Amino acid sequence: MSEEALPAVLEVAGLRSGYHGVTVLKDLDFTVRNEIFTVLGANGAGKTTLLATLARLIPLTAGTIRFQGEDVSALAPYRTAARGIGYVPQESGTFADLTVLENLKIGGMIGQRSREERIAEVFDLFPVLRKLQAQTAGTLSGGESRMVACGRALMQDPKLLLLDEPTAGLSPLYVDLFFDKIKEIHETRGVAIVLAEQNATKALEVADRVMVLSLGQAFAAQDAAEVTTQQLKEGYRI
Amino acid sequence: MTFDFLDSFLITGLFSVVMVTGLALLLHLQLGLTRIANFGVVGFWGIGMYVFGVLYVKVDWSFGDPYQFLVCAAIATIASGLAGLLVGWLIADLDTDGVLVVTLGFATAVQLVATAQDDITGGARGMGGLDFPFDIGKVKDNELLWLGFTMAVVAGILFYVWRVHRSPYGRHLIAVGANERLARSLGKSTSRTKLWLFVIASAAMGLLGAMNGVMVRFLDIGNLGIDITLAAMAGLILGGTARVWGAVVGVFLTVGVFDIVIQSYLPLPREWYTQAIPVMREAIFGLTLIIVLLFRPYGILGDMRRDSLMRKIHGR
Repeated sequence: MSEEALPAVLEVAGLRSGYHGVTVLKDLDFTVRNEIFTVLGANGAGKTTLLATLARLIPLTAGTIRFQGEDVSALAPYRTAARGIGYVPQESGTFADLTVLENLKIGGMIGQRSREERIAEVFDLFPVLRKLQAQTAGTLSGGESRMVACGRALMQDPKLLLLDEPTAGLSPLYVDLFFDKIKEIHETRGVAIVLAEQNATKALEVADRVMVLSLGQAFAAQDAAEVTTQQLKEGYRI
Repeated sequence: MTFDFLDSFLITGLFSVVMVTGLALLLHLQLGLTRIANFGVVGFWGIGMYVFGVLYVKVDWSFGDPYQFLVCAAIATIASGLAGLLVGWLIADLDTDGVLVVTLGFATAVQLVATAQDDITGGARGMGGLDFPFDIGKVKDNELLWLGFTMAVVAGILFYVWRVHRSPYGRHLIAVGANERLARSLGKSTSRTKLWLFVIASAAMGLLGAMNGVMVRFLDIGNLGIDITLAAMAGLILGGTARVWGAVVGVFLTVGVFDIVIQSYLPLPREWYTQAIPVMREAIFGLTLIIVLLFRPYGILGDMRRDSLMRKIHGR
């Protein structure tokens, strides 16, 4: 089946949003299928705002978001989460006072499958968490904390995972590990992923399609393999 | 077994400690777990006390105690729970400052209404006519038994709070308190969780208010001031807002030391009890809050220990 023939997981049309009357995202249109869809852009491009808007944590001022055919533009964030949108923010993705295991359990408040089964899957994906399960999340390193955040979102059995710069500020070892895991999550679980990243080189290695965001406006999404250095330069305003 | 060593002063002091411990435990769920700074504790407690008192004294019930007490206390508990529903709804999307203003305003409103509606509540004159739902002889024996009932209710609250710490609902409360924005993406309504907490805690505060009404047997608007909220908050913060036992330890060290040790055992001049001591009590509790927040913000028992709790539960 060609990529275009795959059903759309997420359809965004005319999306505008921002903070306190300031419009950050300006008329974005894109579709995400069952793929790794990467959003590239410099600091302040609007990547974090876009993902928080898709997770319904920031209200839209115009446009629509359709998830698996359903208009979720006006739904509360917990309702979109219950429908299958998992969200991992760039920072503060864990609950510092809760242990690793409790963070995973709280992610598994929704979902049909056994919680123990899901926890075991997360431990298989990030084996280091098995050893750290009784430790409070606030005492973890940056990389471990991102694993917990990612595991917590996976506990929701999402159909679409929103990852906001999961490798920002991490050591090269963790960066490589995370990109491998992102690919593994998509391939083994069939989860569509929207990945916001600054690290274009690594992101392009795992992405199926890429959208470059610049000052809240998007250059048309295209296959990752076809992105040129010139397009990235324009996107990053270099 | 005789309780001759318990004089009336001591029973009143112990009752005060037990009452404030119950309130501090409920406040622990709000402030300690969910980071909701509820400064309106006395409002919910006062609604319970006044609704109970007015129903008990003014309504001509066709049945007597203990059913009269049970029906009036149940209605008072529900009334406080409904007040919690209203206040919880009002503060649902407010920040800490907003919560503080609304809850403090609510407590003030309760006191104003109780004062203004004097044909119903007795207003500034107060209202008598309340009594124990039983009579086993001497007043002191009745008070002692009532202290026992109140201790049982507070033990029930302690058990509930202990259970909450180990439950998915408790984890959700902690998550909401730690990072509400992230908690909203977990698939459960944070507003509903906070609202439910407010309803339950307010209803329990109302029940404690009704039980206080029985003990004092007189409704006095002087009881609706900030001091009971301050006592619960000072005790909780001293013991540690995030720990279950923080409320218990803290209240024993504040209200216990003040209302039992100082008032019952120190040879203070008689006139101090009516003027100086109540003012000193509030001043010392306020000072305790400042000192603890400056030098030991997590209180005597320290911060939440989820890691040791989980090891205890899972044996790792």
